[in-house]
Amino acid sequence: MPSIPLHIATPPVNAPENPLPSLLQTPSGFAIVELQGTINFPTPEPNPSSSVEVGKVVFPLYNPQLNEPGDTKWMKRVYFYVGQNQRMTGEVKKLAKPFAVIKKREGGYVDMGGMQKGEGTTEELEIVDVVRYKIMFSTRPEPVGGEV
Amino acid sequence: MATQQDAGGVPFSIAHDMRQFRLLELPAELLALLDAPDPPLLSMKSQAPSSAKPAYVVLCTPTSTFQLRQVQTSNTVLITQPTLEAHDSDIPVPTTRAMATCTTTLELHPADGTPIESLTELLPLYHIVDDEVDASGNGKSKDGVFRDIPFSDGQCNRVWQDMMAFEFAGSCWRPSANTLIQVWRSINQAAVADGIKLDKQFLTEDLMRAVDEDAHPADLVLAILMRLNTETESNNGPWSCLDCTKTVSFVGTALLDAKIGLSDYATTDFIESWKDCLPEVWRNETNLKAIDAAYSLPSPSTIRSKKSLDTAKADAAPKAGSQRKWHEKFGRARKK
Repeated sequence: MPSIPLHIATPPVNAPENPLPSLLQTPSGFAIVELQGTINFPTPEPNPSSSVEVGKVVFPLYNPQLNEPGDTKWMKRVYFYVGQNQRMTGEVKKLAKPFAVIKKREGGYVDMGGMQKGEGTTEELEIVDVVRYKIMFSTRPEPVGGEV
Repeated sequence: MATQQDAGGVPFSIAHDMRQFRLLELPAELLALLDAPDPPLLSMKSQAPSSAKPAYVVLCTPTSTFQLRQVQTSNTVLITQPTLEAHDSDIPVPTTRAMATCTTTLELHPADGTPIESLTELLPLYHIVDDEVDASGNGKSKDGVFRDIPFSDGQCNRVWQDMMAFEFAGSCWRPSANTLIQVWRSINQAAVADGIKLDKQFLTEDLMRAVDEDAHPADLVLAILMRLNTETESNNGPWSCLDCTKTVSFVGTALLDAKIGLSDYATTDFIESWKDCLPEVWRNETNLKAIDAAYSLPSPSTIRSKKSLDTAKADAAPKAGSQRKWHEKFGRARKK
């Protein structure tokens, strides 16, 4: 085993529309959100969907029509509304060292033009994306009115 | 996008089935490689699992090596991806969905050291005594050996070339000093017999054919020629031309190393053999300065290899692998 190839994945062609500001968009759409503590939410048992909506992320100063292309002031303020009445304040940070997002390659029998040595279950990894910014919420949530 | 801002931001959801992702911090050097139009193949490597030392994982580019270190974070780090989701309304809206959490991230640090130790350990010694080779191979190809060494292929290859390692009979080997001297003598004699001037440009193939009769592994002969080539001829073309400084130093060092463990070697005898082993044109180039780092003078009239001490220590240490037992056998035989 001791050598595992680390491939570089090609971004998907038909990725879903990315609702984040364009600066945060990466070829495969991955983003990093960091926060203190954890988000607790009830897991509704008979749930047909595969996810729970926990809130909304708002970039109050972001307006691509008004902001200059190089303007990064909007990065200073991000709100994360969790549920009806909690809000975290954070910012968008450029990472000093970008992160590669790595996962196990799906379908272990990928034909690499005969480079594989017979073992069918060779573990392979791939870099699915390189993320250069993160949305960082370093403060505790504060109570807000339920208008959101 | 602006419309979504107006509508109150980007919906954020958390997937029920979290997936397994890792975050790997990219140093500038690696980032530049990944951003290049044709990024090279990277790989994660570690030592063979059987080895007694704790196996650590490294990340290799074709030419450099990084050590991986796992770093804990107390914050929650979510990896998100855009999806289309319909929750409260029937119309699916672009949503950011967290589909993985990372409690640790991976940092990369340039790995120091060289693969010399690993290669020395993994390659059996090809040792010729009285025209007989008594050694069992490792049954591995060069690629197979490199796979078990936690360094990049580029770094492994440099050391491989430097120790003149070679593939022969389905295994990889490193030549002993004694072997090097014998093969070198064959090269030198073949060159004289066929009128090939080693200090001028010659067809590598011609010399290989001339040496062939001695039945040394062709790959080893080639490895020696490549190692001794002048800079301009070292790029594997059909031509060779040996470098005077490299050759003189190589022959001197190998001669000395071949005497490790034997009785004292008179300096005058050594110089004489050294001259005899060199092509005629370089006979007068023998100067102890050429092998400065390789010798010591235990007495005014004798000389020995600096490696003697290291080798003595290495021999005293208990050997773990069974593969090298034959080497101890040689050691004992020589001491008798």
